[in-house]
Amino acid sequence: MSELNMQTALLECKNLLVGYGHALETMKFPFDFALLPGTVVALMGENGCGKSSLLKTFAGLLNPVSGDVSLEGKPLVQWAPRERAQAISLVRMSSVVPPRMSVREFVRLGRSPYSGIFDSRTEEDNRIVEESMGLLDVAVFAERPIAELSDGERSRVFLAEAVAQQVKVLLLDEPNAFLDIPRSHALFRLLKKIAVDRGMGVIVSTHSVEYAERYCDRIMVVNGGSVRVAPAGEARKGGLLEWTEAF
Amino acid sequence: MILIVLLCVATLCFGPVNIPFSSVMQALFSPGADVSSNILWNLRIPRMIAAVLAGASLSVSGLALQTVFRNPLAGPFVLGISSGASLGVALALLAGIGFGSVGVLGSAALGALLVTLVVMFAASRFAQTGVLLIVGLLTGYFIESIVSILIAGSSSESLRVYVAWGMGSFGRVTLGDVWIFAVSVVVGLVLIGISLRYLNAALLGDDFAHGLGLNVRRSKICVLLGASLLAGTTTAFCGPVAFIGIAVPHLAYLLFKTTNHRVLLPGAALCGTSLALLAGLFPASVPLNAVLSLVGVPVIMWVLVRGSGARN
Repeated sequence: MSELNMQTALLECKNLLVGYGHALETMKFPFDFALLPGTVVALMGENGCGKSSLLKTFAGLLNPVSGDVSLEGKPLVQWAPRERAQAISLVRMSSVVPPRMSVREFVRLGRSPYSGIFDSRTEEDNRIVEESMGLLDVAVFAERPIAELSDGERSRVFLAEAVAQQVKVLLLDEPNAFLDIPRSHALFRLLKKIAVDRGMGVIVSTHSVEYAERYCDRIMVVNGGSVRVAPAGEARKGGLLEWTEAF
Repeated sequence: MILIVLLCVATLCFGPVNIPFSSVMQALFSPGADVSSNILWNLRIPRMIAAVLAGASLSVSGLALQTVFRNPLAGPFVLGISSGASLGVALALLAGIGFGSVGVLGSAALGALLVTLVVMFAASRFAQTGVLLIVGLLTGYFIESIVSILIAGSSSESLRVYVAWGMGSFGRVTLGDVWIFAVSVVVGLVLIGISLRYLNAALLGDDFAHGLGLNVRRSKICVLLGASLLAGTTTAFCGPVAFIGIAVPHLAYLLFKTTNHRVLLPGAALCGTSLALLAGLFPASVPLNAVLSLVGVPVIMWVLVRGSGARN
């Protein structure tokens, strides 16, 4: 089993310790984890527990305190930044958006890791951009400035950009924070679908136990300085979700 | 493009001395020793080239700075880069620390570079772009006070030269040193041009650019060096030209309706060049900065009003 995992894991970490917060507090216990193709993992934990830092570390934007992260079998530090951007993407919903940029222009940025020095786009790039916008249902307002969109519309645009990047590993930081209930269901269904269809691995941080249990394959919980992972159906039984009712 | 060619021709044709069009063409294509050739090659052609170079470099520099600092008010002036060049010139002209006419240019470039280093140091220390603008403004004030002390203690002759420089003009460049100007501008444009991918991503912030696999640190240094080189050289040759750097990027946004720097950079360069050539057509007795603002402000106001009207 573990032999198989090692060969096929998209993202894998060993003895990983992650620092977080302004003073770079570290988690107390190192952990191992492997993300398999076609799976969606929910990342859960209280605010400030280090979820975002963990995602940043996975994305190579933050160095681990100790331990190793590897992407498609190769240590993350050995990846050239541009190749890394073709394989993994971290989508954050809180980004500030420039006032004049249109939705299409933003989604086109997803093709930046594939472009030359003058940042041109090929026919193929444009096709992928249109397809990604279609998939996330944002093509209808492709010409509108992102700054004028509602938070929910904007979340989908951010996701479309990451889909256009055609990565193997998609990391999402609270994508449903601004989405209404039907849209959240649709989002998690879509995540599972693209994971299966494209053989991608998805890690999505969320505060919703319901979506995590219903749509994700595994649940990863950051609590009390340690990280634990369990299949979604067994997380509750295994006591991984006890912290959610601590107060 | 056509507008620019027309404006170039107009720059060559009109001036304080009235030269008929046929003589201009004759002087242009078969220069002789007559008065028309002399005026054309020694005055009007250098002035035209200076206007083209200054317009393009200030607007590209302004656009790059506004993008990198994600602030619509950024520009070579706000960041103190032009003040740095002024300090260099003031030191050379007023305090006599210089080596002839080349010394003025050199010290202007040195001053601009010095301020850029201060701004870049601040950029590496503070993540917030707001702090950076304050550092730039404060540096500008600091330098202005040094300059005013220098002015107070200087002779009337060097003061006259400095004040004339401070009004800005495209007419001071000579055919002999226009090459230095052109080469610096090309180097500056290349430095910014090779950072195109970064500029497009930088609108979303450095974290985002990093996530797209860009070398943020290197690109940022490239852009800042390029922008200060452009602004510094232009200030050295033409004096402080305030308006173009901050206003033209907005004009380019509104005309080209895109945030893609593949379009915006050349777009801004074209707008800046046209505006500079247009302003250069006014008689030399009117200060360049006054003309630029007089011509430019209504143009930009009009585009702003029209642009927002079209959207509603």
